Amino acid sequence: MAARPSDRSLFRTLAVGGVMAWLLVFVAAPNLLVLGASLASRGEAEFLALPLSLHSYGHLLSPLFAGVFADSFVLAAGTTLLCLVVGYPFAYILARLPRARLPKARPLLLLLVIIPFWTNSLIRTYALVFILKTEGLLNDLLLGLGLASEPLSLLYTDTAVFVGLTYTLLPFMILPLYASIEKLDERLLEAARDLGASRPRVFWRITVPLTAPGIAAGCMLVFLPSFCLFYIPDILGGAKTLLVGNFIKNQFLSARDWPLGSAASMLLTAVMALLAVVRLKLSPLAGEKVRR
Amino acid sequence: MKRLLLVPALLACLCAASLPASPAWGADVVHFYNWTEYLPDAVLKKFTKETGIKVVYSTYESNEAMYAKLKMLGGQGYDLVVPSAYFVSRMRREGMLLPLDRALLPNWKNLDPDLLDKPFDPGNVYSVPYNWGGTGIAVDTTKVKAESITSLADLWKPEFKNALVLNDDLRDVFGMALKRLGYSQNETDPARIEEAYRALRELLPNVRTFNSDSPKMPFLNREVAAGAIWNGEAYQAQAEMKSLAFIWPREGGLFWMDLLVIPKAAKNPVAAHTLINFLLRPDVAMMICEELGYPTPNLAARQLLPVALRNNKTVYPPADVVAKSEFQSDVGEAVQVYDEFWNRLKAGN
Repeated sequence: MAARPSDRSLFRTLAVGGVMAWLLVFVAAPNLLVLGASLASRGEAEFLALPLSLHSYGHLLSPLFAGVFADSFVLAAGTTLLCLVVGYPFAYILARLPRARLPKARPLLLLLVIIPFWTNSLIRTYALVFILKTEGLLNDLLLGLGLASEPLSLLYTDTAVFVGLTYTLLPFMILPLYASIEKLDERLLEAARDLGASRPRVFWRITVPLTAPGIAAGCMLVFLPSFCLFYIPDILGGAKTLLVGNFIKNQFLSARDWPLGSAASMLLTAVMALLAVVRLKLSPLAGEKVRR
Repeated sequence: MKRLLLVPALLACLCAASLPASPAWGADVVHFYNWTEYLPDAVLKKFTKETGIKVVYSTYESNEAMYAKLKMLGGQGYDLVVPSAYFVSRMRREGMLLPLDRALLPNWKNLDPDLLDKPFDPGNVYSVPYNWGGTGIAVDTTKVKAESITSLADLWKPEFKNALVLNDDLRDVFGMALKRLGYSQNETDPARIEEAYRALRELLPNVRTFNSDSPKMPFLNREVAAGAIWNGEAYQAQAEMKSLAFIWPREGGLFWMDLLVIPKAAKNPVAAHTLINFLLRPDVAMMICEELGYPTPNLAARQLLPVALRNNKTVYPPADVVAKSEFQSDVGEAVQVYDEFWNRLKAGN
């Protein structure tokens, strides 16, 4: 059943137009608003005032913001690494489940990855409080099993923040990884084995380069939000550390300095754009090398 | 390029999913925007049952959040909000409030005259006291002897290492440090604010958590030994935790007052007045005081309270404490100085 060319072009126009309109309204417009706000001046009675200036960007060079940014960077990088270490084996096993013998396992496990999204992440973070607190589930379990002699002090520590960020962002790592590992051509792996490559060698030389786009996508989806999920350090870390997200939130709410908050937000957008460009430059090359 | 745009799009989804749903509109509906855990559900049910007016209730956890939202919406969207005194003066100055119609508020007569006609709203043209209260020191007596704590300075003792909870509120935390240094909690002198900041830097190793959503929770979870929290929070926690003591420090409490106001662009100011008048009714104000443990500005309601509650020193600070304490007020542009030091405190430099 072949569609007539004119139908197809109409469909294409509508589909592309729809997507472009959506991006314009929900991506380009808000970002332009933030860009505009970042160039305004702070007003006393109003949120934004004239004249336009780069003053807020200058403020981002202060040691205060540099410290906040550095702390966030460490936290975000750690979270990304943790998600990758936990997510890759999971995604790998998931994608390699024998389809014939266990036809239902894969959709079921994927569903389990997605189910937490059905609950608000704030509620899930509060649930973590009840697990991690001194008289919480985890300590009860450890004490009950005799693995600890006294309750561990976990809540309101950096460990709790890492646990919270990793838990919240793990699906964003698993899903792109799963997509790229599933596409992996098994014949390539078999060929490598036939030619005498050991399992680790196959993994590092074939699997990792071919799934690099998934790794890159997953890392980006985890890295950037970990800068911004301000409520996780607030609830699990005892609100003692500032993330860039907390800094932005404070500018909008308590300090009422919207231009500075917007400038900090633009900086994150710029970091993300930079990472995206690096990724586009690198990932096709990684694939290319293997195909040759 | 398209993939490049996909990421912000996904992030936008993530953010959108965490926003609360907007309230519905209707004729006999009043939109009430209040602090979290600041009104018993039973009061709203009673109001709807008696008047037929539906209440769309939503909550905030800081004055700043409420102010920003109201300002963004041009004062629309809510019929009744509950700013603290220092925000009443700001919102009044900026023309965001509707003058009250006293003819619609016959229960006004129940209010304590001592709490009316204050500098933040002379003559109470725009605002009605809802609750007042104060920050003092709460102690878990299974961990620390209550008698050993008499002053805010005691919180700085090394034995409280990693064992305190403070409100996650810059005015409250700085107010406490300023009081400890013998200054006013409404200081606007940058040098004194910086001095308070240095004192807080020394206090930081003792702070296990900042929490203003529900400062009683770290006590109930047995995570902290002491802390500076609101008297009502301590009163509520005492119901579940007998070992919690509340002490008004030697320097006095850090008092504040929250007031009912109607935004200028409110859609249903008449229903908002009806609700204010209902909240001023002695039996209703009594219900609120019994559940929240904050002192009521309603004299008639206070007479109705059980003697034990009326004489509860956590809820009603004794006269000598009141004499030493001061109410929080607007610090104007000094808020930026506070914020700078607050950020530095949190960022650890």
